[in-house]
Amino acid sequence: MYYVAKVNSEMCSTHKCNMCTLYCPEANTLMYDKEPKHGNSNGTSWVDEDRCKGCAICVYVCSDLLERNCIEMVMVTTEEA
Amino acid sequence: MSVDIYKINPEFRDIMPKEILDLEDNATWEGEKRGINDLTDKKEILEEHSLCAGCPEAAALRYILASLPTPSETVIVNSTGCTSLMFPHIALHTVHSLFGNQNAVASGIKRVLDWRFPDKTKDVVVLAGDGATIDIGLDYTLQSFFRQEKITTICFDNEVYANTGGQESGSTPKGQVFKMAPKGKVFDKVPMWELAVTSGVQYSVKLTASAPKSVAKVVREAILIARELGPTYIHLYTPCILEIGLDANEGLWEMKEQDKDRFVSFKYVSPEAEEYLKNCKKEGIL
Repeated sequence: MYYVAKVNSEMCSTHKCNMCTLYCPEANTLMYDKEPKHGNSNGTSWVDEDRCKGCAICVYVCSDLLERNCIEMVMVTTEEA
Repeated sequence: MSVDIYKINPEFRDIMPKEILDLEDNATWEGEKRGINDLTDKKEILEEHSLCAGCPEAAALRYILASLPTPSETVIVNSTGCTSLMFPHIALHTVHSLFGNQNAVASGIKRVLDWRFPDKTKDVVVLAGDGATIDIGLDYTLQSFFRQEKITTICFDNEVYANTGGQESGSTPKGQVFKMAPKGKVFDKVPMWELAVTSGVQYSVKLTASAPKSVAKVVREAILIARELGPTYIHLYTPCILEIGLDANEGLWEMKEQDKDRFVSFKYVSPEAEEYLKNCKKEGIL
């Protein structure tokens, strides 16, 4: 059970941005899918949860610097069998 | 080294981890368009590592590796420190020798590569912390500059010996207190970027890792100049968020603050290097 970043792809796809993918300190963790999503012409960022260390820099970039609020930290739990 | 070594025998593809397959299928190894924009959707040549969550040094290494003009022809020389935790996880030739002698080792490697492969362009890049570059390895760092060795030296300056508990380094600012430096630093931060200029580098830049595109541009320029003219030096602020008491998400904020303070931009380009960069732009290499 730990915190990971989660992207709201519907909100993210309204911006042509990518900034979170650059500022994430981990390699291949916050990625960008170029395929247009949710009826917008842009794709969306997405998080590889297995690699996310939960630092929340992406939230700082998306919410504090860019004021777009597309990423939040969520608690990951194992699915019940 | 050839990029061909990453090509997997087709017989083994079904048992190889996805990350290894991706290195062949989705990583960028050369070409003018290779750069920081690859970080959005390409396989990086850095894998998962053990640096702390939110470590600015880890982000800086992503920018540096994405900016190498030809990683398959690049040798990285590193030294003891937090950085050395990342090097086993990058898909390049890396050399780790004694603490502080990284510039001497890099000088030797570069000379031998030029002799062994006269028809190829080989880049040797030193990546080391402030302790290795400015304290313990200062002699070797400066000697490589005096002797005009054609290598690029990048110092990750976190202003402290971080992974041994927080002792002051020559790069620590005056007055700074750490867990193992309780009286506070009594002398000024060593201005390594200025020493580099005095010692004869062709290119010396001080900046923080707060702007990925600036880091990428500087790294590319430094490597291209080192190929032709002589030593280049990049002094990059990557704070240790643990030792200065910040949260995991505050490293970027700290770097932005220091952009206006201790790490206000410094850039020296020798007249020859300036001319060379102009030609690189004309030829579309830069």
